[in-house]
Amino acid sequence: MRKKIFILLTLLGMVLTGTCHAQQSGFLNQLRIGFGGGVNMAQIVDLEPYNIYEDLSGESYDNSYSDIFQNVGNQYFVQIEWFSKYLIVVLKPGTYTYRFTKHNEIAFTNETVEQDTPYLLRYFSVPLEARYSFDFQRFRPYAGGSVAYSNLLGSLDPSNETFIRSKFTAGAVGGTYIDLRYVILDLNVGYNFGLHNITNKADRYATGSGETFAQDDIMLNDLQINLSILFSLQKQKHYSNVECFY
Amino acid sequence: MLNAFIDVMRINIHHITVIAILLLILSGCEINQNEIMPEDGFLKIYNHPDEQLALFPESVVELPEGGYIFISAIKDENAETEYPHTSLVRTSKSGEVTWTMDYDWLAPTSKLILQNGSVGFVAMNQQFDAYVISIDPGNGAETAQHALDMTMPLSAYSDEQGNLVVLGYDFVTRSSWISKYNSNFQLQRSNKLPVNTDLEYLVQRHLNKTGQDYPFFIGAYSNTSGSGYFVNCFYNYTLRTVFLDVSSLAATGDIYSFQIEEGISSLIQKSGALFGLTSYYEGNNYIMAGTEIDVLSSGNIKDLPAEPLYELTYRAAVMAGSLITDEDQFALYISQTNDNSLVVYQYDLETDSLVNTLTREFDERVEVRDFIQTSDQGIAVLAGIYTLGKYKRPLLLKMDPGQFVPEED
Repeated sequence: MRKKIFILLTLLGMVLTGTCHAQQSGFLNQLRIGFGGGVNMAQIVDLEPYNIYEDLSGESYDNSYSDIFQNVGNQYFVQIEWFSKYLIVVLKPGTYTYRFTKHNEIAFTNETVEQDTPYLLRYFSVPLEARYSFDFQRFRPYAGGSVAYSNLLGSLDPSNETFIRSKFTAGAVGGTYIDLRYVILDLNVGYNFGLHNITNKADRYATGSGETFAQDDIMLNDLQINLSILFSLQKQKHYSNVECFY
Repeated sequence: MLNAFIDVMRINIHHITVIAILLLILSGCEINQNEIMPEDGFLKIYNHPDEQLALFPESVVELPEGGYIFISAIKDENAETEYPHTSLVRTSKSGEVTWTMDYDWLAPTSKLILQNGSVGFVAMNQQFDAYVISIDPGNGAETAQHALDMTMPLSAYSDEQGNLVVLGYDFVTRSSWISKYNSNFQLQRSNKLPVNTDLEYLVQRHLNKTGQDYPFFIGAYSNTSGSGYFVNCFYNYTLRTVFLDVSSLAATGDIYSFQIEEGISSLIQKSGALFGLTSYYEGNNYIMAGTEIDVLSSGNIKDLPAEPLYELTYRAAVMAGSLITDEDQFALYISQTNDNSLVVYQYDLETDSLVNTLTREFDERVEVRDFIQTSDQGIAVLAGIYTLGKYKRPLLLKMDPGQFVPEED
């Protein structure tokens, strides 16, 4: 964990240093601001299951979670970018909502009872991305990495208490900018790995009502697809219909 | 204007850095949960896939080496005998099943006895003869059995000196039967308290889990005039709490109620003549957190000032006991409410004031059966729950010691 925090601090320092440098050399000319949104698909990694039910006949009860493509959530964010010729540093603070369902089975001789517990976790997240881009005129594809700090927002659902507030993730991103002269579109795909267990171990049984399940130790990975609209504060490049500068 | 904005940003960037670092440190503390162990607090429901079995949990003990053993009476719809047989379950510290063992002994209604590394329970054979059975906590194998020379065991209690006190019912003389045994289960003294009416059918229905569940229990008290036992049993037409002399087992006093429809549901001695108790009468449950009782006289339960507990179920079973921590001493009364919650009333043992009320809500009906203080100064509560609203199964709830720390004003 210390190593992860050290990496985060290092990245934060790099960004702040870069920003200071930007302030001294035309900060606004290298800044883009916009907003965006998209969908995400949560993938649950069960680190250690905790069952409420124990079987007295020797059988064991397994937990499972819904598949990644069934767990469609969404996110809305503000996008702030500082860019140099090839390197782009991106902040995307916003609301990121994840959905997934836990499946439990209770087995009897003549029936098997399946229980589904849906979750909706809404985080305020601050993803920080570093991108290396290629300038292909109107299209500028990029690839890079990201780290994010997230804080779980409150909810009326008591099972929300079975999760800790903080979440750190790291991942890879890729996509392309599409320069539309006055605005720039950013089409972005990323996969984020959870860096730690997000279950609140002290309250894993505090699921509100229901004796049906306890919260497993889980990590939350997610696949994101985003589309952002960016406004550059620098002088606009102008393209002709034949894709050449003038 | 723009330069001014940039200057402000440049100054604030140091503050933002400090805030970010603090945020990371706090988050790191939250993420690091290594000090929280699974055995600190857990909830387990012990399910058997056979729908035709109903499991009635009775008592739980914590083993010196860690883990728990609890006893249940299992009522099998297809069994030839109407009385439930006995089942023991051994669990790990965090409640996972280690082994289970079924026994032919019937109607195990006693507290489990933990003595010299061995675990024992009191049950009866098909002729209603009571026995104490010792088992090996390592694998559940039966190691010894001792006839107790009494019939229809209803409750058993092991005192601090290792003596065993057992309450039974003698259907020949229509009496409650109280016997005391030494640590080798040899009979020391016995006494019969005449009921003066035939309650055999009600006792049978209590034992075979088809009728009203009566709060039979045994405990010990001591004060300046001596020590003794209190036994909740049928005596002289009513359900009474009878105070017995420690040596002769002769009744010295009692608290009586109206016939067998009302009575005391739990009792704990706090100090001297001061007792805490719960009762049910006229359709309601009541608590007397600190009341003086003369163990040498007979009194009516309605003469004791009581606070109603409207939230508890009809004729609620209540388990009373103490929680002794390094800092404080509490009296706990654990029961179940009409909205399917287990409830713990935490009273300060010295001031008799209600310190805390803890609840745990369930989807289905629950019935508390026993609780113990655990070695970490938390508690383990054994209850029954109707899984899916249909199948009665044991439930073990381990509560973290931190839940009983009074909040500062």
